Amino acid sequence: MRGFLATIGCSLIVSACGGGQTETQSEPTGTINVYSARHYDSDRLMYDMFEEETGIRVRFREMSSSQLFETMKAEGDDSPADIVIAADAGTLWKFQDAGLLQPVESETLNAAIPEKFREPDGHWFGLAKRARIIVYDPERLSEEQIGEYGALADDGLDGELCMRSSSNIYNLSLMSELIERWGEDKAGEWAKDVHDNFSRDPRGGDTTQIESIAAGECSAALINHYYWVRMATSRSEDRRALAEATALAFPETGDGTHVNVTGAGMAANAPDPEAAQAFLEFLVTRNGQELLVSETKEFPMVAGVPLPDGLDELPDFIESAVALNKLGENQATAQTLYDRAGWN
Amino acid sequence: MTAPAGTDTSLQSRRAVVGRVLKTLVSPGDVFLWAAILLVGLPLISTVFIGVFAGGGSTWNHITDTFFWTYLTSSVTVLAGVAALILIIAVPAAWLVTLYDFPGRALFSWLLILPLAAPGYVIAFAYADLFGVVGPIQTTIRDMTGLAARDYWFPDIRSSWGCAFVLAAALYPYVYLSARAAFTTQSVCTLEVAQSLGASPWQRFTRVALPGARPAIVAGLALALMEAAADYGAADFLGVQTLTVGVFRAWSSFSDPAAGARLALILVALALTLLWVERTRRGEAGYQASSIRWRALRRTRLSGWTAYLATAFCCLIFVWGFAAPILRLAWLAVDARAATPPLLDPLFNSFLLAFAGSVAAFFTALAFALGTRKKHFVSKFAGWIAAGGYATPGAVLALGGVYALNVLPFTLTGTAALMVLVLVYVSRFTAAGVGPLESALERAPASLNAAARSLGASSLRRIRQVDLPVILPGAAAAGLILFVEILKELPATLMLRPFNLDTLAVRAYAYASDERLETAALPSLVIVLCGLLPVIVLSWRLSTGRAGGDVE
Repeated sequence: MRGFLATIGCSLIVSACGGGQTETQSEPTGTINVYSARHYDSDRLMYDMFEEETGIRVRFREMSSSQLFETMKAEGDDSPADIVIAADAGTLWKFQDAGLLQPVESETLNAAIPEKFREPDGHWFGLAKRARIIVYDPERLSEEQIGEYGALADDGLDGELCMRSSSNIYNLSLMSELIERWGEDKAGEWAKDVHDNFSRDPRGGDTTQIESIAAGECSAALINHYYWVRMATSRSEDRRALAEATALAFPETGDGTHVNVTGAGMAANAPDPEAAQAFLEFLVTRNGQELLVSETKEFPMVAGVPLPDGLDELPDFIESAVALNKLGENQATAQTLYDRAGWN
Repeated sequence: MTAPAGTDTSLQSRRAVVGRVLKTLVSPGDVFLWAAILLVGLPLISTVFIGVFAGGGSTWNHITDTFFWTYLTSSVTVLAGVAALILIIAVPAAWLVTLYDFPGRALFSWLLILPLAAPGYVIAFAYADLFGVVGPIQTTIRDMTGLAARDYWFPDIRSSWGCAFVLAAALYPYVYLSARAAFTTQSVCTLEVAQSLGASPWQRFTRVALPGARPAIVAGLALALMEAAADYGAADFLGVQTLTVGVFRAWSSFSDPAAGARLALILVALALTLLWVERTRRGEAGYQASSIRWRALRRTRLSGWTAYLATAFCCLIFVWGFAAPILRLAWLAVDARAATPPLLDPLFNSFLLAFAGSVAAFFTALAFALGTRKKHFVSKFAGWIAAGGYATPGAVLALGGVYALNVLPFTLTGTAALMVLVLVYVSRFTAAGVGPLESALERAPASLNAAARSLGASSLRRIRQVDLPVILPGAAAAGLILFVEILKELPATLMLRPFNLDTLAVRAYAYASDERLETAALPSLVIVLCGLLPVIVLSWRLSTGRAGGDVE
């Protein structure tokens, strides 16, 4: 797959260079430094392609988002970072809140990305979408029973739920959205009831929860869709069998499915803001979008970009209308509610 | 030298004292020792300084209120579990392999060293999968019993005990090696005398060999526990909140490196205690090496079920520490046929950093090993510094580096950061090189050095012409150990590597924490493979080059 994409990429570049050669050579060729919380090999292809198209060299540093955050804070004004890429709007908000990002005014970006998926002032832009959905054991539960976030709090599910730690940003952002939908009291009540339904203490990542359901340790869990898709499209027969033993529910009633993003913003002290903006705009081109989601199995942000393998199997679903910049604001409250519920 | 008339005699004697002190402190050989102390101590001392003087804000109170006891009990559980498992496993294994003959003995004598090649976090990846709810063990249980996962209890690998199980598998060779060396070099005569006096094999083990080898065993255990205490990768991956993970989180979750440094003080104190234990034990061992005539050990041939039991015991250890986790990773890589992650670049980067780091650390270790032969306080101080650096998590030392870079000011991604990273390697791993170098030096009787001295050789000349030739084999071992240790290093490399310089360890850890174990498997295996070559050379050297060993 990657080889195939690389071939496409190369041929596109060759044709692009034919037309744009004089242009790119007359521009000053700089370097941008990307701080990324992603660890995908396809990102290297993405950087290479941008380099080929613009002549701007990309240097990258990949770490967990919290480590990137502290590194940038420590570096302060001297930070070499031009671009920050991170998963989850809650994380991007944390960078923005600490003054590590600067607003970008770009027609290209504003046109390509729906309003609710970008920060109003342009501090960060959602580039790929991920849905936080319910995975369940179809032999023990039905979609009617488990089709909503609210249903997870049902008394009938006692001992049926597996969850990962509440300090995980995906769970924090979901709770932030539920606070926005239901208010603090009801959201806190929900966390308590969900916690009462646990079959075991929180453990592992999203993949662990799918495995637990397949093994019969519990019957339902919350996951980001792509963990299931990667399992379902794995080349290992055993892994595919695990995914096939489970089913997915995309919450539809109420406000729909909680959708989060992988996003990027320009660093507050970006040494080369023009090149940085060019990079951000590259990420919403068809090439950029395809490489962003090919390996991760996220949904492309820009309409018309083809879905990566495996995503076409998923049903259409209703995206939540809650604007992503709300998620960061509720983050601290979300953690308090989880802590109060005893959900570690 | 005659004093000029009229000089105050008390001043004169004071000058003489100062002169003597200066001479002890800065004799030519000691210049290297001081330079080494400075290099090794810099990150450690800055961390301690930050911990003592900069910490204590609201974050510190928050940590003590909420997580402190979790951190402490997790760390204590992990360390106690590691110590118990290692002692139960490694000492009997060393005894069996040294003194008895049984099917596969020659093979096991070096197979049991192989886990040295695998970092704790790699073993953790494998066992998280092996013992996981859909891993082969639990799947087999369910297939055989027809139960669902909710119907039975299974030990959770993502727990303190699980972490101890994993780290002990990776670290037992430290004790196995030191115990084996002690058993091999102990006086054969003592054992024979015990035998002629009617002592049973069990009595010879518990009442003659063990007391004699105890200092070496404790020293090896201290080393293993320092490694366990400094582990970040395995504990973090398994979700065990040890002090070391807490130190890292104080920085990455609470934005308060000073609070992290303060937590690290506990680890430094623990390291110094372990060092104190190790040093006092070694002191007690003084009588032990009195036998000058060496003779090849005659191994007792085991027969019948005892022989099979011995083979099974060694086999079990090998499977636990190496075969099971490594084969599982290999299977994961093959089964998923995961798109092969780029390996050449990370491999090159790993070699580059490991080479730079091990060359630098080798010279500081050499300075330490030579310096500590003279029993004055500088060498003691040096020992404390080296062990302090060794036991301090790489993340903590790197934090000190981050501070320094900001003050100077440099970015965290340039050449300066690269140099700081090498400095952190030096600080962290010098102690690992000092051990082999020191034991190599011990092969040269102090009388040899004294003889050279009596012939008027300067201290530099003594180093060059007497010490160096004697320690060359040990030096090779030290260099290899340093290279492997640095290749496996994770947290400091993560924090201070320059742009685009991802190592194998960094990639493997990134994939694994992204829940892509099958992609992490391949770079993990390459780390182990790189680590294997020096370990095999080392084990070959150990089994052929030691007095009283297989070959005279």
